[in-house]
Amino acid sequence: MENVTGEGISDQIGRFQTQLQMDGRGRKHRILMVSDFFFPNFGGVESHIYYLSQCLLKLGHKVVVMTHAYGNRSGVRYVTGGLKVYYVPWKPFLMQNTLPTLFLTFPIVRTILIREKISVVHGHQAFSTLCHEALMHARTMGYKVVFTDHSLYGFADAGSIHMNKVLQFTLADVDQAICVSHTSKENTVLRSGISPEKVFMVPNAVDTAMFTPSPDRLSCDEIVIVVISRLVYRKGADLLVEVIPEVCRLFPKVRFIVGGDGPKRVRIEEMREKFSLQDRVEMLGAVPHAQVRSVLISEAFCIAILEAASCGLLTVSTRVGGVPEVLPDDMVVLAEPAPKDMVRAVRKAIDMLPGIDPQVMHLRMKKLYSWDDVAKRTEIVYDRAMQSPQTDLLERLPRYVRCGAWAGKLFCLVMIINYLLWCLLEYLQPTEGIEEVPDIRPVHARLESVDDTCETQGKGI
Amino acid sequence: MSSGVYTYKHRCEGGFDIHEVYIKRSKFRVLFSYVGEIFLFANVLHALLLKESLCTNSFWSISFAFVVAKCLQYKPVKKATFYSGRVHRQFVPVGKLLKPVLNEHVTPITCYWSLVLLLHSEDKLVRVFKKVYPPVKMMVPIWKALDAFTNYGGMGNSVALQPNPLLINVEQRCTTT
Repeated sequence: MENVTGEGISDQIGRFQTQLQMDGRGRKHRILMVSDFFFPNFGGVESHIYYLSQCLLKLGHKVVVMTHAYGNRSGVRYVTGGLKVYYVPWKPFLMQNTLPTLFLTFPIVRTILIREKISVVHGHQAFSTLCHEALMHARTMGYKVVFTDHSLYGFADAGSIHMNKVLQFTLADVDQAICVSHTSKENTVLRSGISPEKVFMVPNAVDTAMFTPSPDRLSCDEIVIVVISRLVYRKGADLLVEVIPEVCRLFPKVRFIVGGDGPKRVRIEEMREKFSLQDRVEMLGAVPHAQVRSVLISEAFCIAILEAASCGLLTVSTRVGGVPEVLPDDMVVLAEPAPKDMVRAVRKAIDMLPGIDPQVMHLRMKKLYSWDDVAKRTEIVYDRAMQSPQTDLLERLPRYVRCGAWAGKLFCLVMIINYLLWCLLEYLQPTEGIEEVPDIRPVHARLESVDDTCETQGKGI
Repeated sequence: MSSGVYTYKHRCEGGFDIHEVYIKRSKFRVLFSYVGEIFLFANVLHALLLKESLCTNSFWSISFAFVVAKCLQYKPVKKATFYSGRVHRQFVPVGKLLKPVLNEHVTPITCYWSLVLLLHSEDKLVRVFKKVYPPVKMMVPIWKALDAFTNYGGMGNSVALQPNPLLINVEQRCTTT
């Protein structure tokens, strides 16, 4: 069928697709996820990168992950769905972070960017040195970069001041940024001075297929309160020491299970001995999650709450960071981070328990949070990043100058040296000399094509 | 097929399927190698001739010269075959070949491909090109030929790129330009 101008529908669709691609919308991206934190390490950032990558692969984008080597896990690995992971043999030196070298990672980042024909570089986590360095090199090479901040940070202590300056340096020249909650967005904007228009809020999600309610209706004769956390001050372990005896005194049917390890474990064990609660407080000790590094002040977005809600469990949490944004009021009981208010919240939660239907809660979670939705929202951020204009070094330098009287000049110097290093690398190993890697289609894409073939064959019969 | 210093040639001769990868020798690299060696030699000679003025500086001077010479050292495919033009061969019985594999390697500064052989009763993979890194487009036809051979069990194979059924000749040649 042709219209009056003689243009076929396929031509029109093609023209529309070309237009979308030129606008940066609807195009398939080739994304490099960079962070020091990825599996086999376990935590929120690692899960986020993994699930997001899987969903982006399903949407037809190419995704490659770059992280540092974990023990013997070095080199190239393919994980579920054909997700390619580069475990670069740089050893971590502190809390799974690679040693900050500024320029030494440039050759390997450049090689990966060229050989994988990357179009967008997506860095994760403010305290990942590999992420900051990769974003800096990518900007020097003219790539579009997106940064996701997964954590909240303070402003006053020495560590925060240093970290915020590094963040300011990186975010001075990113195309777009993502935060996992509105609180996190506010925090990031204040810390880095990035324009709020550049920052998107894309929440985390939960794999509801993995976290399902128990098929058996739980008995109300005994109420079990589960605490899964690293037992450190920042996670509220000291609150736990005061809350547990009080709750046990008020509610004889309550039993606690505490999973996790940390410096505050001794305090909880002492409390258990002191109040003779051995039969009512079970200590599970170290679980794999306990190895996860902790530098958080509070949660930007607590995935554990989502997982609990997906299992149909009512959650009691402190009202800190982005936690109040995570769930509606009837699915979580919030308390101020004080023992008295925590006890009040536990009492309220116990009163609410009979009215909680785990299956209904699970279904609500299914509708509220999904990684597919997160991937679609992230895709929009990539499209927006692709629309941002190309800039050269001279146009980008003023952005760094604005970072501070001395720091601004220092940042400019670093970027100029990085640019010269790029020129040197181009001379020593021209881009044409780096072989591009053939694309291997993700497993599900191959399975889908097999399904399509079967379907076609079936119709033919 | 050529890429940088590498040239790939494929021919069938007398029932043999021959894949050859040639490496061009860099005259500049050879010249620099000589310069490094002369520099080291001159330093050692200087220290030996002026024994009375030997001091800690002499030790540092020789060490520095050694580092310079090492940096400038140029190792073509095989030292022994550098001038003689002889070919260094390692024969792998094809009966031991389980599968050829194209491996992707990552170092702290770069990535490269290598063709390796998975052999029966061998703990380690055997690299086909031990000290050189030819581009993957040159290794793919070799890998395909070996893979086709292993897939068809090496008997009655109609695939054109069939290797010698008795031996796999892993060879590296060096040519001068």
